[in-house]
This record gives sequence, C-alpha cells and structure tokens, in this order.
Amino acid sequence: MLSPSLAAKRARFATRARFGNEVRRARPLLGTLVEIRVTAALTEEKLHMAIGAAFAAIERVQALMSYHDPASELSRINRQAASSEQQIDPETYTVLEAALRFAALSNGAFDPCVGEQLEKWGYLPPCAATAEGARTLGGSWLDVHLIRPGRVRLSRPVRLDLGGIAKGYAVDRAVDVLQRAGIGRILVNAGGDLRIAGDWEQQIRLRHAHTPHLSAGVLALSNAALATSAAYYSRRRLSFGEVSALVDPRRAMPYIENGSMTVRAADCMSADALTKVALFAPPEITERALAACGAQALVQPAAA
Amino acid sequence: MIPGSRIAVMPLTAICICQPAQAMVYLTIEQAQQLMFGARPLAALPVVLSATDIAAIEHDSGVKVYTNSLRSWKAADGYFFVDAVVGKHDLIDYAVALTAEGKIRQIEILEYREAYGGEVRNSHWRAQFVGRHYGDPIQIGQDIQSISGATLSCQHLTDGIRRLLSTYAIAIAGR
Repeated sequence: MLSPSLAAKRARFATRARFGNEVRRARPLLGTLVEIRVTAALTEEKLHMAIGAAFAAIERVQALMSYHDPASELSRINRQAASSEQQIDPETYTVLEAALRFAALSNGAFDPCVGEQLEKWGYLPPCAATAEGARTLGGSWLDVHLIRPGRVRLSRPVRLDLGGIAKGYAVDRAVDVLQRAGIGRILVNAGGDLRIAGDWEQQIRLRHAHTPHLSAGVLALSNAALATSAAYYSRRRLSFGEVSALVDPRRAMPYIENGSMTVRAADCMSADALTKVALFAPPEITERALAACGAQALVQPAAA
Repeated sequence: MIPGSRIAVMPLTAICICQPAQAMVYLTIEQAQQLMFGARPLAALPVVLSATDIAAIEHDSGVKVYTNSLRSWKAADGYFFVDAVVGKHDLIDYAVALTAEGKIRQIEILEYREAYGGEVRNSHWRAQFVGRHYGDPIQIGQDIQSISGATLSCQHLTDGIRRLLSTYAIAIAGR
C-alpha cells in the first residue's frame, strides 16, 4: 500500500512522462483567487512564462474594467460618458457589446447597470460621480449606446458594473493566451468560474447550494466553461433588510434565496452572464438564451 | 423535466457529498524566489517587530498583526516576503516581491488550504499545517481538483497585502 503522497508523486511522474510538465499557479485577481493549470510537452520555464503572460492578460482586463479602481476605463465611463462620448479600448468595447447582447436576449434579466444597487448595499465603492446627488439614478442597459468602432455614450447617468461578465471574459482571454503559446491542456479557474481546454477531461465539484462547504456532485468537463451564481458567500443583513451581491435588475432587488445556478457554455463569458439570465428571467426566455449560446443550466433549487 | 429543455434541476435532498479539506501547493518559497528574482541573489533580512511597530502597522493598515516576525529577503533590486492570512473559509500562504522603492512587483500564492465544515476556526485543524515543509504537497483527492461555486472573496488576502505594505513602510524601508 503506497502512502498517499508517494502515490501522488508516482501519478505526477506518470503524467509527466506522457504529457510533459504540469504547472499550477494562483494569484489574487478580479477580487478572487485565479488559478491557472497547464500541462504541455514544454519546459517548466516556458510554462511559467506562458502563465505569466496569461495573468498579464487578466490584469489588463482588471485595469480596464474594475469598478473599484477610479483610474479604470469603466470608472471613466461612469463619470463622463453621460456628458460626452468616450473613446474606449477594444477589450472594454467587446465586453460592453456582449453585456448589451445578453441584456437584449434576456429582456433585461441580465443588465450591466446594477452598480447603483451594489453601491447602496456596500458591495461596490461609491463612484466619484455619485456624490453629485444622492438621488436615485434609475436607468438601464437601454441607456448605454455603443458607437462603432470604439466609443460609448450614456443617454443618462447610470452605474455600469461589469462584475457579472468580465470575470468570464478574463478567463477566456487567459485561455487564448495559453493556447497561442502552444499549450495543450489548460484549466483557468477564477474563484469558481472556470474553463477547461485541450484533449483532457476534469472532474469539477459543484458546491452544495444550501451547505456550500459540501459538494452537491461532480461534473465531467472538457473543452467547455462552467460558471455558478449563488448568494451563499455574499448575503448579509443591513438595517433595511437582507442583501447579496446578486441583483435582479428589473426589480432592483437582491437575490437572497439559497439556491444556485450553474451554466455550462463553450466560453466562460457566456457562462458567467447566462447564470444571471437563468436566475432572473422567466423559463421560456432562459431556454431561448441558452439555446442561442448552445449552453445548459443546472439549477440547485432554493429551500426554506 | 420538460423534454428538450436546457435547464436541469439537481434534486438536492438526495445528494450531499462530504469532502475532505482541500490543500494545494502552487510554488515552494524557492520557486517563487526564482520566478520573481531569477538568479539574482537574495539575502535573508531578519525582521522583528517591536510593540510600537505593531501598533503603528495596525493603525496604518487597519489589520491585526499576529506575529512579530516576518519572513523577508532583500535583493539588489527589491524585497521578497512570505506571509500568511486566515480567512473565514481558507488559509493562504503567499509571496510578495516589492521593487527597491517598495512598490508591488508580483504576488504569487504559495499554498491554498480550503477548510470544509468550518474547520478553519478549529485550532486542531490549523495545527496540522504549522511548521510543515513547503513543497511537500498534501494533495487530497487528486482526481477532483476544481470547484465551481459562487466566488469566494479574498478580502483577507487584500488585507494581508495592505498589512505587509505598512510593515514595509514602518519597519523595513531603507534597510
């Protein structure tokens, strides 16, 4: 009987002989831990370099689209795009365009303009322009206008927050960079929103929605992305009631039930956005949106 | 279930798989030093914080200091630190490289340990990791290694990094 650590060492050695080296790294990014795992017939040094480049791609997404960073492009849009058209980076344009597409596809069940609620509930820092008046902004994705090839204008002040989609986009960007570096087997996991690429399959555990320190089951995943939305880690009680980091945009209300929504899609940006569609849209609209993306949803129902 | 539906429902009453605590070693201290400083020599920099230092660091960063020592190294072009933070659900060992001017150059997670069932607060659970050797992976459940779920915030790690920057400014800068 081998000791577990010896067995693990032998398993790793066998893997290395067949597929090359494996490297796993993790960094705090996007407000969570981002893990990158690669296997390829390349030297460890080359794998580390490729992972470094993939992290740099994620850092770029964060620098452009962070709500927390007053210097980000997103913060500039929130401050200025209602008064003057703003030139934006192609990456920000791509994510905003996708956000508006998911908003249209779901009749607003996904909406990137939830920053106002999340500020009020303390999940996001106050935007510099919020001080202009404590009044309610209202507004929705219908007030966001993209002008090709790379400008944005807001028809009234809103608080755009790409937290429901940019994490998935960042995972996709990291996978792109690693694929271009010639890496065969890739897994990028941004705190539970993940994507796997290459000729391998991985077993992914799903957190149990009612008891998230336990697992509700295991999914085999290959060449696909998986994202989950739930309130179990973000729910908190404020003076006026319970809130969470998940906003139902059309009611401006928090999702405070104990269910969860997992979506499998080809890319992580779609999976990320579709979890919100599936949580807040009526079933027929969810079916239509999932079908449009070739995606599937897995519901863990809420219980009393 | 509706035939042809893309929405599946998991019957949750039936399934509730217990799992052991999960631990993952990403890099040893030596590997992180190599990644961040290459072949450039690093000299250990003994750091012992006085009570005054600790009070100043806690005041400046707003984060509690649990130990009066910090694992620190100095290179010609910067500093290298190893620190640990304990969150509600996990323990994280991490390494930070600063430039010679004290700006963050790189952060890497060395080891991540997620506790299940609230073991993080259990001192017995924590004790098993104290004094353990880096690079000696205790990978439990080799075949199941990734978890999908709502994103865990790593606020405690952000706090730890802020504390480290205060420690640098108060007790190390210029050394």
